[in-house]
Amino acid sequence: MPNRLNAPISRRNFLKWSGAAAAAATAGGRTPVLHALVPANEPGTASQVEHKFSVCGMCLNKCGLIARVEDGVVTKLDPNPKFLKSRGMLCARGNAGVTQLYDPDRLKYPLLRKGKRGEGKWQRISWDEALDYAADKMKIIAEKYSRCGMLFTPGSDMQSTFVHWFAEVFGSYNITTHESSCLVSRNRAYLDTFGEVPFSDVLHSKYIIMAGANRFEALITPDSIDLMTARKNGCKLVVLDPRYTKTAALADEWYPVRPGTDMAFFLALAHVIIMENLYDPQFAAEKLSGLNELADHVMSCTPEWAETEGDIPAADIRRIARELAAAAPAAIVYPGRRTSDYINSTQIRRSMAIVNALLGNWDQPGGLLGARKVGLASPELPEAPFYEDNPDDRLDHGRAHMMFEEEGSFKHMRDAIIEQQPYPVKGWFVYKYNPMQSLANRRKTLEMIDKLDFIVTVDIAMSDTAWMSDLVLPAPSSLERQDPASGLQGSSACACVVTRDPVVPALFESRPVFDILKGIAGRLDLGEYFDFTVADYRKQQLRKLPDAEKALHEDGVYYNPSKLYGVYEGRVYKTRSKKIELHNSRYADMGIEPMPVYQPPRQIPSDRFRLVIGRNAYFTHCSTQNNALLHELMPENTLWIHPKPASRLGIRNGSTVVVSSAAGRGEIKAELKPGIRKDTVFMGSGFGVLSTGMSNIFGSGACVAELLEDYADELSGNSAMHETFVQVSRKGA
Amino acid sequence: MMKTQLAMVIDSSKCIDCKACTVACKVENQVPEGHWRNWVKHAEPDADRLARGGKDTAGHFQPGACMHCEEPTCVRACPTGATYKDEADGSIRVDSALCIGCGSCIPACPYGARYRHPEKKIVDKCDYCSARRARGELPACVVTCPTKARTFGNLHDPKSEAAILMAANSTVRVANPESDTRPNMYYIGATAPLNWPVKAQFPAPISIWAKLAKPLIWGAVGLNALGVLVMLGKQVLMADDAPEAEDPENQKEATHG
Repeated sequence: MPNRLNAPISRRNFLKWSGAAAAAATAGGRTPVLHALVPANEPGTASQVEHKFSVCGMCLNKCGLIARVEDGVVTKLDPNPKFLKSRGMLCARGNAGVTQLYDPDRLKYPLLRKGKRGEGKWQRISWDEALDYAADKMKIIAEKYSRCGMLFTPGSDMQSTFVHWFAEVFGSYNITTHESSCLVSRNRAYLDTFGEVPFSDVLHSKYIIMAGANRFEALITPDSIDLMTARKNGCKLVVLDPRYTKTAALADEWYPVRPGTDMAFFLALAHVIIMENLYDPQFAAEKLSGLNELADHVMSCTPEWAETEGDIPAADIRRIARELAAAAPAAIVYPGRRTSDYINSTQIRRSMAIVNALLGNWDQPGGLLGARKVGLASPELPEAPFYEDNPDDRLDHGRAHMMFEEEGSFKHMRDAIIEQQPYPVKGWFVYKYNPMQSLANRRKTLEMIDKLDFIVTVDIAMSDTAWMSDLVLPAPSSLERQDPASGLQGSSACACVVTRDPVVPALFESRPVFDILKGIAGRLDLGEYFDFTVADYRKQQLRKLPDAEKALHEDGVYYNPSKLYGVYEGRVYKTRSKKIELHNSRYADMGIEPMPVYQPPRQIPSDRFRLVIGRNAYFTHCSTQNNALLHELMPENTLWIHPKPASRLGIRNGSTVVVSSAAGRGEIKAELKPGIRKDTVFMGSGFGVLSTGMSNIFGSGACVAELLEDYADELSGNSAMHETFVQVSRKGA
Repeated sequence: MMKTQLAMVIDSSKCIDCKACTVACKVENQVPEGHWRNWVKHAEPDADRLARGGKDTAGHFQPGACMHCEEPTCVRACPTGATYKDEADGSIRVDSALCIGCGSCIPACPYGARYRHPEKKIVDKCDYCSARRARGELPACVVTCPTKARTFGNLHDPKSEAAILMAANSTVRVANPESDTRPNMYYIGATAPLNWPVKAQFPAPISIWAKLAKPLIWGAVGLNALGVLVMLGKQVLMADDAPEAEDPENQKEATHG
């Protein structure tokens, strides 16, 4: 290889020695991509470069990463190649974690509201003042309304466990989280069928039906990645979705199903599998309870009937049932995650769980798997105090038939706070949770806020919920703090333990929620319950895993080589019959349909559309839209509408349209999409914000929470966010 | 033949269009707002097929970036020699010391892979993450990709992953027939869309010379001097924004099966 400099004189070498080049060389400037907060280093000029393990905090997946730290500045996050759960990847959001760390929109110091709520007038106060203020308010509420007068809503975060602990020692049962806007109906259905919420062995599956899940956009590790690997190994993918998602684009078959009719499709699959004897009789005899009842139940649920309900051709339903059964047990009706869609969401997921049961895929390669042993121990904490003057139950108790006691339902909690029934709740502690954007019917959330005496929000940035709060406390990003250990289920990839130590020190005056809670606890004479550090807590968690600390230090992750398949050998199912319950007798006793009965969705009025919502790979719910790098990928949300109805309404691509429902209204740009049903429109979440603290997205798009009416799943209390009909018109028309 | 030819071998059928590669690239290379060094293009079935649903509705996503071509039109368009094919590894590089930011190379690239850096006032594009490679790391887009659609390596090293994939699969290149630059970006099997590369556009003086002059004259000092003068003049007159294809979401293409 000739050295370039020794090569015959070319144009560029000529210029290198000429004056013109020297003049041009000074033109290059520094590029502060990370905005004003951090000076950009020219590549290769740092004097000290370190690489540190962490796990991503941009969504719930906790993907392993390696941070490159140059002279104390995080310059790049790369995937940890040894991290099996994420298959050694880092998505767009994970890469944009650097921008979250150095985001100029971050909260920098404690803020106390000065004007009216939502007016945006704040006073900077010291941490001592802030913690004194919070403790005083909580004390007053506890004295006046009992300790259950405080509501706690921790978001999905590795430190949320401390919010739960604080609520327990403070004495409030009123804790609710993100989950009742997400997956409690799926959990309910699978618990009430299999006795456990399963993980899908996507990697080894040969046939997957995905209905109401969009795994190539709403990334879940390892499922999203394994789905592609499985596809390359010949796994067939059938997608039911009213819109042409990227998952639909990458499927073998896509059916634009009529929204709300998925149960008809799954009952028809059960019909074909049972009538044609396509199930494993030995598995059925040993493991299934209620097959005869189910056979009677689905007798009339023919594919022809399902076609009239859901617009999926009967011949295809019949063929898919046969193909699915032929691939069993390495075949899955994918349980999905966000199932907050319809008022009968639990029963819809029961119908899917029942088809899985007929496939005999439980505890099998390519099927549904129970949880694996991770091995984390519960830290030994003092016994929480008992408060005699507390009410008997949580505030939302009894508002849905089968709500999870520890979880409740935010929708019902909000209703109960507005009604002040059965008792008043007057204070709210919010950590990294934003129901002003994520919970259907924003006006009702504002109504709830009106009933409250005190709201404190701990977050990284001024979310819409922080915007409506009285006290706003800055939290560090996940790269700036020490966290407890967390056990992760990675399906067939792994069962593992992760943790975090600070990659860089916390910026500004931000403090981890643990420190905040400890500070408040001390002021409320509850200091003895927080007489530990995060490091102590983690040590206790890891006490039964002697190899974990070393592995976490050396690889950024600890794997427990626990049993994967055959976990249920010699074990009974955790159900009343100790078998997989096709027919749930406990439901029957409670007056609930013991097998899922199809209810047609409400008819859409001719001048309306059904509004459906969903995700893409750039945003985590409503929390990353303002991140400068992700904002560039999608600066605003749009309303997907089919060109035919759009044309009828005089709406063109990019037209501003007014969308209105019984809950509210919004203005948004239309995006004409031939891949959405003519009776359905779609919007992404996280835009139309009220907070000016979201400087990139303020003034852009419309807010899903403003438009959605607050239906709920009758059984689990899960939010039902696909039940809203909207009118759409061209602005000014 | 060069001993080393760095290249990307891409299985675009694995791409889920998550944009991990585009964001990873922006962070690694400090690409300024509004600009991109890489992209993902879309191919969707037509409206009739989407209306029917069922089996015939597959779409396709196609990751891309500078193709580090065998016959780079950008190199030909550059008046100062700032854009060159690195003889050590076959990549196409921009020497920031020589680039005068004239932007002639931007329309000369059929793939829209180049942009004018608003602060540095020079042209920037994918360099296969040269700083990472110097540290022994793979390009940021390659390591971060969830489905590992992008593979990178030396095509002339039979042990490289890229070369192994090339040997084991039929591949296609995406190029405009009127400006086939022989890209060093290979797509395994088939890919879509295909019709997006444009014809390379050369600044007038260059294209006249290109037509008149024989290839040997390209090295001549006289032409260099003329080119530099023309381009320096052009830079003074030109507005800041050279024409370029940027927003990856807007680079959607019509259907191509």
